[in-house]
Amino acid sequence: MGETKRLVKLDHIQKTFNQNKVLKGVSLEINQSEVISIIGGNGAGKSTLMKILTGVYKADEGSIEINGDKLTNYNPSIAHDKGIYLVPQEPLLFPNMTIEQNLTIGFHKKKQEVREAAKKLIEQLGWNFDLSRYAISLSIAEQQQVEIIKGLLRDSKVLILDEPTSSLTFAETESLFKLIEQLKNAGVGIIYITHRLDEVFQISTHAVILRDGKVTLKGKINEFTKEMLIQGLLPMDSEKDGSHSYEKCSVDRMKEEKILRVQDLCGDGFKNISFDVFKGEVVGVAGLLGAGRTEIAEAIYGITQVKSGKVILNGKDITHFRVKETIESGIAYIPEDRFLNGIFSISSISSNMTAQVIKKQKYFIDKQFEKKITDEYVSRLSIKIGSQDDEIRSLSGGNQQKVVIARILSMNPQLIIMDEPTRGIDAAARSDIYNIITQLKEQGYSILLISSDLEEIERISDRIYVIYRGTCNVCLDLEEINATNVMRAAFGTYKGSENYV
Amino acid sequence: MSRLISLAKHREIRTVIFLILLFLIVGIVNPDFVTVANIENAVKNSLLYIVLAAGITFVLLTGEIDISVGGILGLSAAVSGMFLRDGGSIFLAILIAIVIGGVIGLINGLGVTKLRISSFIMTLGMLEIARVVQVIYTNGKWVENLPKTFKEISQSSILGINTLGVIVIIAVILIHFFLVNSRKGRYFAAIGDNQDGAVLIGIPVKRYKVFAFVISGICAAVAGLIFASQIGFISTTAGIGIEMTVIAAAVLGGVSLSGGIGSVIGASVGAIIMSSINSALVFLKVPAFWNSAISGLLLILIVVADVLIVRRANKKANKERLNARVLNYQEGA
Repeated sequence: MGETKRLVKLDHIQKTFNQNKVLKGVSLEINQSEVISIIGGNGAGKSTLMKILTGVYKADEGSIEINGDKLTNYNPSIAHDKGIYLVPQEPLLFPNMTIEQNLTIGFHKKKQEVREAAKKLIEQLGWNFDLSRYAISLSIAEQQQVEIIKGLLRDSKVLILDEPTSSLTFAETESLFKLIEQLKNAGVGIIYITHRLDEVFQISTHAVILRDGKVTLKGKINEFTKEMLIQGLLPMDSEKDGSHSYEKCSVDRMKEEKILRVQDLCGDGFKNISFDVFKGEVVGVAGLLGAGRTEIAEAIYGITQVKSGKVILNGKDITHFRVKETIESGIAYIPEDRFLNGIFSISSISSNMTAQVIKKQKYFIDKQFEKKITDEYVSRLSIKIGSQDDEIRSLSGGNQQKVVIARILSMNPQLIIMDEPTRGIDAAARSDIYNIITQLKEQGYSILLISSDLEEIERISDRIYVIYRGTCNVCLDLEEINATNVMRAAFGTYKGSENYV
Repeated sequence: MSRLISLAKHREIRTVIFLILLFLIVGIVNPDFVTVANIENAVKNSLLYIVLAAGITFVLLTGEIDISVGGILGLSAAVSGMFLRDGGSIFLAILIAIVIGGVIGLINGLGVTKLRISSFIMTLGMLEIARVVQVIYTNGKWVENLPKTFKEISQSSILGINTLGVIVIIAVILIHFFLVNSRKGRYFAAIGDNQDGAVLIGIPVKRYKVFAFVISGICAAVAGLIFASQIGFISTTAGIGIEMTVIAAAVLGGVSLSGGIGSVIGASVGAIIMSSINSALVFLKVPAFWNSAISGLLLILIVVADVLIVRRANKKANKERLNARVLNYQEGA
């Protein structure tokens, strides 16, 4: 490739959201005919960086240069004009329009021209599209292809693909890779965001690893090994705050009883999941976003259906129980999105806390009883409240979460499933929640902790099961738990896990 | 899936089949129903509904709803009727009606887009307000003694076909081409189909929603004029409950209440069906008060069927998405 043109140069981009520094000076360049893979855990800043590149967000610091021009007033329509196009992870087509209508809408060219151009493109790519099909009838892969055509029709020079393979089947992935190869040869620069390390080696020319708002590793792909990429994703030792460590215990599995047994559970988004939870232990469920962890939790809890397999609680088969029955048999679930599913935001603190336990009451609610329960848990979990009658949304995130924990404790469960319990909670409240979890463990509750936060899950779990693309092949015991192992397993490269090449 | 597509594709055809079946079945019971005269009559009676349904289709396409049309119809008919009765010119009367409809539509649209009031509540309020204004303006009296020239408009005919009918049918066809084939026309359906996507490709969503309400208001005003011309007087309860019939007509004609799907032609056929059911009941010797119950029932049946179809499709897509993520061992080999 004799002379390659530089397409985009991002220089020391910084971005802060509510005092939370998301990007801490990221520089990135892309030339013609390059495929740059950007790899990073959840919250590493990948999507923020891409939103800055496409003009959706404005960078606080740093400069953007496209085709050698430094841009100041950057916005999405300039990005489109300059040929930068993002294919979103979830396609945003109009379902009730035909493909052709989807391609032409919002375009300032003549319909006829667009149609001809689209037909030519599709032919070049060797795809088989009937332009009169409705978008609603397309598979996700096809929708993605339409999005890509939309980008190419706008003469994109830089195509950003945001986790394009996350909902593609193997054959569809192959055809996408062929397309990337073709585009690369045609001189398009491609930024490829992914979690899958195998794909990185398969298609990219360069790899960039983002962690915590910084680039930790950057270079040509043939200089790297998987092992090096994993190391780049891990937090530096110096950054860890070792001030606090939580008491862990290895449960003597011969003696203790199994609280929960999940056997060969299959459902939508996961397959052949087996694990056990013993009395008085914190079992972590690690994995990347979209690996299927929440789906597993919802299946156990009875929100979604189980295709096959068994869930056994205390020797009782609860596989096909509905939510109400699951709660009664002793499982509690703290959902991922507290605002959506966890709290009744404009109700009072005491109503929130007793929302579940009052089911056991008779027709009328005993105010005295409500107050007693609330007082008890407010002091037990040291929840900072003004008055019991304040709306729960007036509390801080950490205290809201504590109220949710209090609510489920009032039901006296045996197993508590916590899905991302510290998301959106500040550091101080975070260690409060960790303390609560550790206390609960000591009191004999079993906890299933789902978390994407590597540090969190590593610090407070006694055992960790790692979910990788809907399967669970790795169980890390107490002595095996460390950040490297969890990270490897989450990316599917742990030595014990099934190799996927 | 393929069944769903064919359903989506042939929503209008489905409506036409329904219309033919209606005429056949009622015709078997009472052959008088399928005479040329009666069919022509049915179309003539439905002109009002066609105009209203065409207007409301704009609003429904954007995913909103407009139930103020009955109020707009009554008010604009009464105001321009009184103007005509007092010797005003027909041209000005038409203009007055259109301004009234346009302004009320504008208020509806601004309330929905700027104040973010749900369109159901906004237009429900507007319906009641328009009714009361009408009563105040007319002192609670009927508007009668409309000039003969005005009443004759609805009776005149070109080549043996009702003039108004011809105009309305041509207008509906033109609007159809605007909505389906023009760039801006397609924005209405795009907004109801995927609002986020519409914003992303630079469609001024709020402005087009306001347009939709204004168009619906103007259509309601025009329907008011047709009403005045056909009936010859305007009672204080003119067009009461008509919004129900019109929404039912649009939905029956394949317009989705969740937005994004539908055509004015479909809605017009739906309008013919709704007014034919009315006369069919007469031919079947069913008491006329059953009409409302039947339109309500039809509305619920169609909406429920629509929701079920959409929900099934969404569920299936979601399942596909989740399962595509699961690692498959055969693939890797």
